[in-house]
Amino acid sequence: MSTATEGLRPTPRVIALFSHGDRHYQPLDPVEIRYEVEGLDDEPPRAVEHSVLWFTEGKGEEDLGVHFFERLVAPERLPPTAPMGQFSCRLPRSPLSYEGVVVKIRWCVRVRFFFESGRDYVSEHEFTVGLLPPARPLMAMP
Amino acid sequence: MRFPRFFGKKRGHRRTGSQAWASLGDAAFHAALLIAGIVFAGLLLSGVAVPEWRINQHFLATDCTVLGKGLVRRTIVATDRSSSFTWQPCLRVRYEVAGRSTESWSTPSRSTTASDRTRAVAALSAWKLGDTVPGWYDPTAPATVVLERGYNWWMWLLTLLLPGALVSFGGMGLARAIRRWGRSQERCAVPSRFSDLLDPLAAGPRQAAEHPGVPACDDLVNSPGTVLAYRLPIESADNWTLLGFGLFTFLWNSVLAVLGVGAVIDLLRGKIDWLLLTLLVPFAAVGVASLVLFIRRGLLATAVGPTQLEISAQPLRPGGRYEVLLAQGGSGTLDSLRLALTLEEQATFTQGTDTRTERMTVWAHDIRTWVDLQLTPGARFEAREAFTLPAGAMHSFASEHNAVRWSIAVHGQPAGWPGFVRTFPLVIFPAEPAIDNAGLRREAFP
Repeated sequence: MSTATEGLRPTPRVIALFSHGDRHYQPLDPVEIRYEVEGLDDEPPRAVEHSVLWFTEGKGEEDLGVHFFERLVAPERLPPTAPMGQFSCRLPRSPLSYEGVVVKIRWCVRVRFFFESGRDYVSEHEFTVGLLPPARPLMAMP
Repeated sequence: MRFPRFFGKKRGHRRTGSQAWASLGDAAFHAALLIAGIVFAGLLLSGVAVPEWRINQHFLATDCTVLGKGLVRRTIVATDRSSSFTWQPCLRVRYEVAGRSTESWSTPSRSTTASDRTRAVAALSAWKLGDTVPGWYDPTAPATVVLERGYNWWMWLLTLLLPGALVSFGGMGLARAIRRWGRSQERCAVPSRFSDLLDPLAAGPRQAAEHPGVPACDDLVNSPGTVLAYRLPIESADNWTLLGFGLFTFLWNSVLAVLGVGAVIDLLRGKIDWLLLTLLVPFAAVGVASLVLFIRRGLLATAVGPTQLEISAQPLRPGGRYEVLLAQGGSGTLDSLRLALTLEEQATFTQGTDTRTERMTVWAHDIRTWVDLQLTPGARFEAREAFTLPAGAMHSFASEHNAVRWSIAVHGQPAGWPGFVRTFPLVIFPAEPAIDNAGLRREAFP
């Protein structure tokens, strides 16, 4: 439940930089992310979670597959002591990013901050894996 | 101040509702089931299982002399305040407890309880005054004596099954809710040792090794072909429809037969139950219609003959060229027989209280079509064809609620009969990425 005081709290902003400027990767590529967080003001987080994951989008219920996950709780690795963060992993062979009609598969990086007050804030940054053409309802074979 | 939502709904790209309240509700629901299971188990154990076990394990054997006979009357008050009685025979018996003579009343058997007093009195004639019958008394309360012992296996099964199901379902759900409490969606999704144990249904379909999200193809490569490498299993909705029709026809006509026999017996006794006869007419119409439809579908399934498909490799890779062998049995003429490669998307979602699945074919390619095909009994039609998967094809994908499925479909149109579709699933892996000596990655297509 949000309170009036929480409503006045500024929203943090995460600026993420990917090792590939176009945010396009191939399976088994290493992916490196550097990020900077702004707008935390005087509310330092008690934990930060980094994850690289795929999720489904479309008509069906959302499915999620976490490929990389780490949780940082050591104060020296959290803002404001460490205002910038970075993490990396090697992508798996699958699934590839897919723009289907009723099923879509997206890859993203999430940085989630947990604050002492109990609230959390998540910043999501999408990227693509592979290069598949988007699907159309009953597309004819070229 | 906004009151939190207790349940969520999917609205486009976002989900409404509070995660914390949803977790709390989930935990409360499963805790209630767990408590109900424990209470139920406690009641069954203390009221049925433990007393029965004590009779069989702790009670001491003795010989009882029948001194008197009587009936135990129990009053049953219905919700409309009317009352009825049940009657159970009981015996006054004398027996020795540590050398001292003791007398007590005992009910000889649970099964002799009757709602009809005359029947209960008749049951009492099985015992005669002065008879000696075996009995067992409670050493801690010698006035308690039983004249029959043994285990009621149905009651033990009920004691184990019902509370066991509630305790395991509630306990697993509660443990899952506690494990997820205060954790992010990503942290909960990280696989752990307990994931499959606590949430076996969320694990989704079995995945291929080192290919997350790609379904395993073990079941597609365990049947060798006669000419090509593998014989593909059939996945036909028609077979399930036939089974469904068969079950419905059997159950419906069984009920109809029972009602019909009752009506005939009444008629033979000169009694006419008009309500039953009026109900039997539409029931019989539905029964006959279901039987006709079932026979028609059965004839279609058997008249067309079996379809077999063999493939040169499995799993497949984008850009690869593969051979298939189609074999169609049966007799008569097929106006057309079409072999097609299809890509279908499948999404499962909740709508209200229903779970629905939407399927959409997003890509199809005709491998070959035959027209006016004459099938000869005893000699099946065989054709060997080849196809190439597009280099940019999506790989097979399967998660808990979503799937991208590849298959080869055989569409047949028998002359004078409804058409049929028989589907053979394929698994396509993503193109194997390759790293050259300079460390640059390229897509490799076979």
